[in-house]
Amino acid sequence: MRYYVSLITLLFLLSAGSLPVPCLAEEPVQAPVETLPSEPASTDNAVDTPAQSSNQPHDVVANDDDFDYDDEPFKEEKAMIADPIEPFNRAMYQVNDKMYFWLLKPVAQGYKTVVPEPARISVKNFFSNLKYPARFVSCLLQADFTGAATETGRFAINTVWGIGGLLDPAAGRELDLQKQDTDLGQTLGVYGAGHGFYIVWPFFGPSSARDTMDILGNQVLYPLSFLNIWYASLGTKAVEAVNSTSLRIGEYESLIEAAIDPYVAMRDAYAQYRMHDIKTRKAKSLLFKDASTGNTAPEAPLPQE
Amino acid sequence: MSSIAAAGGMFGPPQTVSREAGGLNTAVGYRYHEDSFKNNYTDYIVRQNQIYSQVSYGASSTWEIYGRIGIADLKILDAFKSADILTTTSRDHFEENWKFFGTLGAKGYFPFNRIFGIGAFIQGTYNFSNFTDDITGVQSGTPFTADLKVKNLWDVNFGIGLQATLPRGIKLYTGPYVYYTEADTYLSAAIPGLQSGTQKTLLSNQSIAGAFLGADIPLAKGFHLNIEGQYTDRFSVGSAITYTY
Repeated sequence: MRYYVSLITLLFLLSAGSLPVPCLAEEPVQAPVETLPSEPASTDNAVDTPAQSSNQPHDVVANDDDFDYDDEPFKEEKAMIADPIEPFNRAMYQVNDKMYFWLLKPVAQGYKTVVPEPARISVKNFFSNLKYPARFVSCLLQADFTGAATETGRFAINTVWGIGGLLDPAAGRELDLQKQDTDLGQTLGVYGAGHGFYIVWPFFGPSSARDTMDILGNQVLYPLSFLNIWYASLGTKAVEAVNSTSLRIGEYESLIEAAIDPYVAMRDAYAQYRMHDIKTRKAKSLLFKDASTGNTAPEAPLPQE
Repeated sequence: MSSIAAAGGMFGPPQTVSREAGGLNTAVGYRYHEDSFKNNYTDYIVRQNQIYSQVSYGASSTWEIYGRIGIADLKILDAFKSADILTTTSRDHFEENWKFFGTLGAKGYFPFNRIFGIGAFIQGTYNFSNFTDDITGVQSGTPFTADLKVKNLWDVNFGIGLQATLPRGIKLYTGPYVYYTEADTYLSAAIPGLQSGTQKTLLSNQSIAGAFLGADIPLAKGFHLNIEGQYTDRFSVGSAITYTY
């Protein structure tokens, strides 16, 4: 059963392009750019829609059984995460769930009504630009120097020509400097640190022992954390959370509607998604690249999930 | 003291650099500004350094509106220089560091053909903060201290520009403009020999017209370099890097 819940969740994530998480402070996780291992469902779809292959030569279809398919690309990589404090996590999940439905979502809906989408995207860009130090340090620690340079270029261009980061000219077609979707938790994962155990933090949402270090590290590397006036710091975080939520209302609802046990679905999706992120980051790290081929070295240690 | 001629910044090419279908362009620029002004008694020279960021929206290659926010310092030469032999001051110049200013503008362009065209613009600037500087001195053997405030400094500019588009998209432009600047100054104490006195003094510029000349040069990947000079009583020059979305 968990397999199907996980599968549905992952399919949803792939189609929605982000990981919906009922939390107040997290930025929506960007959809993975690189190809995930294909799902078995994709082969089913191919069978169910013969019209799509109607342009293929008939002999190809007729001799379909003769092919010795390589099943390797269709294997699903299952990410597991220990959950020794599940009662606590379920309680925190309920807290976050109620906080989302009773507080954050109504406020975000009101905010969405009065603030047009381009303005909300600009606000999101602004806060994202401020998170440059965390992404830059993460890239450096992962020996992804191209990523670090890209982030630096993005920060400079978006700050100067993007009106303090409100706009994102660096990601445009001509400059094509895309945001590096990385964090300090991934950095630990790249070096082989496993999740540890699953933990749901109030406000912050799903995390793990390893990724909790990311939450702490981001506090140090996030400039707004150093606002001296406590209500200014709280206010900016509230604005960020409301603005971020307003841009993805409905994603979390879709997830929990599709899941038999939303808690388990969220946990499995989190583990799966983080594993994918770390593999993607590892592929970009110079430390784990074969100097001759440029590919990720096969002997590189994988995170112990 | 009169006529703080802090003209509001670069004007840019008459024709917008935004995409023809409509879009944003942003710029960051620096400008060194110098002008002369005078009141009923004395001539002064004003110097400013301005750093600004600008966002514009233009379309059809014919019109553009823009807003600009930046910081500028202010130096008024000989503002504290005494005309009274019994009054000596610690220094002669009024100097204040960076203060915020904002600019709004609009421009329209009418092409004669693929190369030449004419445009007009209007642009206004307001300094959000006061400029203040303190002096100490001695008047008839008595020490004194005073501060001079320059408040509500604003200006408006209107100009007409002729533009020629060269190969590689380089735009050269020139034209006349008129401007008006106004500010209030307050000196905290009446010091014989200092012109400002203690009363509120309305300042405005003496020279109302000038000319500008500039070039907009396309760089790579949507960036443009804009260089512009302006001349009224003194010469000002500025440069901006523009990015077209």
